[in-house]
Amino acid sequence: MDDSRARNRPSPAASAAQPTAQSQAAQFPGAQTRRHTAQHGVFCTIVPPHVLDKLSRADDPALHEPARRTLERDALQRTRRRITTVRGVRTTAVAGQKPSDRPKRTIYDAANREELPGEKVRDEGDEAGQDASVNRAYAGLGATFDLYLKVYGRRSIDDNGLPLDATVHYGQEYGNAFWDGERMVFGDGDGEVFRDFTLPLDVIGHELTHGVTQYTANLEYFGQSGALNESVSDVFGVLIKQYALGQTAEQADWLIGAELLTDRVTGEALRSMKAPGTAYDDDVLGKDPQPATMDDYVETSSDNGGVHINSGIPNHAFYLAATALGGQAWERAGQLWYDVLTGGELTTDADFADFARLSVAAAVARYGAGEEQQALLKAWTRVGVEPA
Amino acid sequence: MRITVTRTGGFAGIPRRAELDTAGRPDASHLELLARTTLAEGAPTRPMGVPDGFQYGIDVDGSTVYCADPRLSDVQRELITTVLKEGA
Repeated sequence: MDDSRARNRPSPAASAAQPTAQSQAAQFPGAQTRRHTAQHGVFCTIVPPHVLDKLSRADDPALHEPARRTLERDALQRTRRRITTVRGVRTTAVAGQKPSDRPKRTIYDAANREELPGEKVRDEGDEAGQDASVNRAYAGLGATFDLYLKVYGRRSIDDNGLPLDATVHYGQEYGNAFWDGERMVFGDGDGEVFRDFTLPLDVIGHELTHGVTQYTANLEYFGQSGALNESVSDVFGVLIKQYALGQTAEQADWLIGAELLTDRVTGEALRSMKAPGTAYDDDVLGKDPQPATMDDYVETSSDNGGVHINSGIPNHAFYLAATALGGQAWERAGQLWYDVLTGGELTTDADFADFARLSVAAAVARYGAGEEQQALLKAWTRVGVEPA
Repeated sequence: MRITVTRTGGFAGIPRRAELDTAGRPDASHLELLARTTLAEGAPTRPMGVPDGFQYGIDVDGSTVYCADPRLSDVQRELITTVLKEGA
């Protein structure tokens, strides 16, 4: 492995090498490799981009026309994807009309293929059906919508009533869930290590929060800003679960994906915000690699610079602040994290120290100089982050 | 032909690696065609991918290309699935 543990923050050289979202989007290979449908005649299978390029310059219209159409369509999708990454594209509310206080959920079934979005199986207001994954996704999106609306006054992902789309049964024995820029996508798990990814409510909240981040601070998914993007999703993921269960900070387990691991795995969850690095220690999965403090910050080139690893540091800072303040974590600690995410000052390339500084400033702005400010300063110091 | 697939990222952030040698396999020529096509159409640098999406590095006899979910071609998907399932 190319992982190495560093005692300090990433070197300036490593930071300088961080690609921007834009440059990465331009390199996106999917733009060149996506499947082409029957409307393209002879190009209905995968055609390498250099071949398309050559064909598009052929004299024979039978050759160059479909090639040009394909290239144009790819360019269009590439542009749209870049815009989606930089700033959300879909808005739904009519001008002058207040967006709805009700979610607008649609669940699709990929029927174990890797095709998106799949077949529509449940619309907003439809009765629950026989498929437990569909029902869990529908309920989970509702619970997430509720927390954002009732606690933070946010109307859906974009604060403008954006419909919430999710696809379940993605792929075969697919052990993952992700946010594709427009929808949440859930696999059934491989059954060996992972169960169905719609099982934990915090996983559903985590994926939807990637959407909220995309429409607000839009943290670049790389290095420390990427680890913050991940951490924000974990934070609101657990808050959605705590809110739904009515748990206080003391009662909560602070685990991510507790229902995900099969009985044969030695571990209690995928991540622990209370004790990063202790969630699992298993023959097949290995040991939870998350650090709790900057002393154990992991420098790596894999996983976009360890976004799922170093998120343990801001995760633990949130846990420390929330438990120091006590009571319901979505109220004060959650509100301050929400203020930072949506306040407009968090830059796309923010690092941990930037987030820490803005969170302390948010505490003073909202509650004045007092126990919230002190709790945050103490929490960030404990994890080795000095508010910049 | 020696084909190695390294999968990183994903919600769990747990990497996986598997290697397969086509020598002596009944499907050797099919896998080699998949591998050559993958080399031709893959990107030379790691794509950003999507939040929590799997990312793949595919090494074929020393040459490496990268791709990421959910935008895999059918060829990439078949090769990745086969190597992760049947490789060691």
